[in-house]
Amino acid sequence: MSMRTPLKNVRSLGSAKNGTSHYWHQRVTAIAMIPLFVIAIAYVVSLVGADYDRVRYVLSLPFTSLVLLLLIGAVFYHMKLGLQVVIEDYIHTEGTKMVLLLLNTFFCTIVGLASALAVLKLAFGG
Amino acid sequence: MVELALPKKSKVGTGKTHPKPEGATNLKTFNVYRWSPDDGENPHIDTYYVNLDDCGPMILDGLIKIKNEIDPGLTFRRSCREGICGSCAMNINGTNTLACTKGMSEVDGDINIYPLPHQPVVKDLVPDLTNFYAQYASIKPWMQTQTPPPPDRERLQSKEDRAKLDGLYECILCACCSTSCPSYWWNSDRFLGPAILLQAYRWLADSRDEFTGERLDNLEDPFRLYRCHTIMNCANTCPKGLNPAKAIAEIKKMMVERQG
Amino acid sequence: MSEAYPIIEHKYDVVVVGAGGAGLRATMGMAQAGLKTAAVTKVFPTRSHTVAAQGGISASLGNMGEDNWQWHMYDTVKGSDWLGDQDAIEYMCREAPQAVLELEQFGMPFSRTEEGKIYQRAFGGMTTQFGEGPAAQRTCAAADRTGHAMLHTLYSQSLKYDTDFYIEYFALDLIMDKDGACKGVLCLCLEDGTLHLFRSHMVVLATGGFGRAYFSCTSAHTCTGDGGGMVLRAGLPLQDMEFTQFHPTGIYGAGCLITEGVRGEGGYLVNGEGERFMERYAPSAKDLASRDVVSRSMTMEIREGRGVGSRGDHIYLHLDHLDSAMIDERLPGISESARIFAGVDVTKEPIPVIPTVHYNMGGIPTNYHGEVVDLKDGNPDAVVPGLMAVGEAACVSVHGANRLGSNSLIDLVVFGRAAALRAKDIIKSGEAHSPLAADACDAAVARLDKFRHAKGDTSTAQIRDDMQRVMQDDCAVFRTGESLQAGVKKIGEVEKTMADIKTTDRSLVWNSDLVETLELDNLIRQAVVSMTAAENRKESRGAHAREDFPDRDDENWMKHTLTYHSDGEGVRLDYRPVHTYTLTDEIDYIKPKARVY
Repeated sequence: MSMRTPLKNVRSLGSAKNGTSHYWHQRVTAIAMIPLFVIAIAYVVSLVGADYDRVRYVLSLPFTSLVLLLLIGAVFYHMKLGLQVVIEDYIHTEGTKMVLLLLNTFFCTIVGLASALAVLKLAFGG
Repeated sequence: MVELALPKKSKVGTGKTHPKPEGATNLKTFNVYRWSPDDGENPHIDTYYVNLDDCGPMILDGLIKIKNEIDPGLTFRRSCREGICGSCAMNINGTNTLACTKGMSEVDGDINIYPLPHQPVVKDLVPDLTNFYAQYASIKPWMQTQTPPPPDRERLQSKEDRAKLDGLYECILCACCSTSCPSYWWNSDRFLGPAILLQAYRWLADSRDEFTGERLDNLEDPFRLYRCHTIMNCANTCPKGLNPAKAIAEIKKMMVERQG
Repeated sequence: MSEAYPIIEHKYDVVVVGAGGAGLRATMGMAQAGLKTAAVTKVFPTRSHTVAAQGGISASLGNMGEDNWQWHMYDTVKGSDWLGDQDAIEYMCREAPQAVLELEQFGMPFSRTEEGKIYQRAFGGMTTQFGEGPAAQRTCAAADRTGHAMLHTLYSQSLKYDTDFYIEYFALDLIMDKDGACKGVLCLCLEDGTLHLFRSHMVVLATGGFGRAYFSCTSAHTCTGDGGGMVLRAGLPLQDMEFTQFHPTGIYGAGCLITEGVRGEGGYLVNGEGERFMERYAPSAKDLASRDVVSRSMTMEIREGRGVGSRGDHIYLHLDHLDSAMIDERLPGISESARIFAGVDVTKEPIPVIPTVHYNMGGIPTNYHGEVVDLKDGNPDAVVPGLMAVGEAACVSVHGANRLGSNSLIDLVVFGRAAALRAKDIIKSGEAHSPLAADACDAAVARLDKFRHAKGDTSTAQIRDDMQRVMQDDCAVFRTGESLQAGVKKIGEVEKTMADIKTTDRSLVWNSDLVETLELDNLIRQAVVSMTAAENRKESRGAHAREDFPDRDDENWMKHTLTYHSDGEGVRLDYRPVHTYTLTDEIDYIKPKARVY
């Protein structure tokens, strides 16, 4: 049985004074992904059956690269934010939670950057 | 970590089936969750038969009839019996609601009654709402102003500003919404839950209160406010027809607004 | 005693028992005054029955037309059928506007006028120009959920102050010393069954009415008059217990309240012939006559075969002619109640209603400071040291023989505050508590133990049902000597069955079987004194309508009934004079005259 008062438990460490930027960024990235995905899918559909060189060529075009970079940014940032919420929702062991949150950040950053690098390489590497 | 199985002690067993009243033809079956800390046993479901020809129309009437005539040990909270005090909130056939305003005829087949979900149980249908009440106290649910009130008359408030409190001040703190919210189930230690956030918004929306910024500061937290994932169980279950989800959305809107 | 019960002792300056409107206002005031205060309540504060008040709270703010407290006072005196103490009535009506403004400042969400002021509606018995002018709009409202708005506001305010709440603690008995002073109160914690002795310099009883003595009432299940029961067991009297108010518009069948505000907003009653019969009984006030008058008129109509329904046993309340936008704004709560409990859409159909037990004008006698008084050595105003009562539990007496609608909420806050002001004057915070006799709590604990292990043959529910039916049949809107004498006998027999009571739950954790039994023990005593006092008063006054004595008899009966009760000797009656003086010379004593609406 807890010897602390209920109010002590509820107030706990106080308000973190953030959360709105997380909430807002998640919404912004979600909205951004709608047109970006539409364009990306259009590309994929138009390239069905095309050969390797043709795909490379289209992906290296400045507009395509821009769309893909924006999409990658939005997707992985959104994914990082979303997974963070899932972890915070369900993992209540402080240590495990911290580790998973770190892994989430690393994973999303690494995979996101790797994807971006691939696009850049196509754009500039020729 | 996530617990996927119930602890052994909380597995609900089959309990006693009380005999049907003699001569009655119009029967309703009540399956009621029972648990007492005294006997060290697991919770169980007792079955009772209520003669509808000799009973009021509401589920609370049925429970009271069971307590009066069959099993005086059956324990539940009740007071006003007209849906305004919020005492008899319980889970009836899967939905949190007030037993006093839920008609027996609204339920097809057996009536299955459990305490409000995911709260510690004191006994039978009586949950321990200490944490819920402490969360209510934590939002400072009283008028905060700096400007002294006029000495000889009321603070003025336009009809339009007063109308902004409609749909908020009617909350009866029954806890049906909060205990129906999965996010509150997982994080009730840190998430304030729909009822308390609705109450918080009641003060944010009050044109007379001068501490809007401080109130928002207190809520600006990944857990206190932002654990709401708009699951909407709160709005579906509220026995008073209020919409806590909308109030929470309004708070989030205010949060974003003040950013720039 | 079958086992020992350890007692946990707490020391406070003040203990308030009950956390409804009056209890919370008193608690808040005590805390503001710097007194160490505990509030003990058997239900979470916002579950108290104040929450169910609908129509409003009276105060002569004059937001909707000219008004003043003297007119309010005249109406209250007339409503009380001159049984109210005019010093107390003056105090209440004079303090009322300030008390309402204070609630507004606490944040209570009153409905508003176009100018942004508190909205006020018409209510029964509220007039202007000392009864000569048109109806007054004096009842301040938060739609039709005024009690809810007020109770939640008061609870949230009391969270602001340094008060200890003991929630879901059931008060068992007052602890009195041999000189008749109150020294504390013994309570049972429902959660774990522990006993707690709250020592204090002042115990404030704010325990509400005992409506549940009747079979059909608007009162909550928890309105069991626990303070009244404790006072009777302490050898102190209850006052004017024969006066029980029947609210004209309880929903037929369910008994839930439909506010008088419906009639204040333009609703009206019709009988089975479609006639607006109130025009016959109260030509000028019509449907807004005071509650006792309307309830009697409805009962007459039903009795003379002009009721509605297949059995002709109720009356219709129409508001279907009113603008539905207005109904949505000002009467949303009763629209919901009518739909749920009568299956009626109020914009299309009338609500079936019947006079239903609603309020106890009687209670623990107090002065206007809230201090409990007793008739002692010829002094009718002898203060009982250490004990106060406020709210419906008390009989100040501002409501006399009949309360006006919306005067109860103002009673709660005005006298809740008055009690705190008085306590501030007479209690020195932190003063040491005198030692108690070793056996001070024994009787109370023995009573608890007796009921916990009661092994008789009659269940609590059975005895309660018997009591409720006797009260319903023999202590109703109209009373006769014959029915009351039969009633006294019958209720006495029911009381005797208490010796044969059976409880089932032996646990100490949230034992609601035990609590209901203790509540029944409080109820039955008050039912007995109520019936006895009704039989004794041989006149008709306010809510007490005797068919064998149809007139008011000021010569013999302008006095308060005191009823004492003890297990061995039954009921003893005595009297206190009505205060026929006012508090200040700003208003003269309002002399009795015929009461017509």
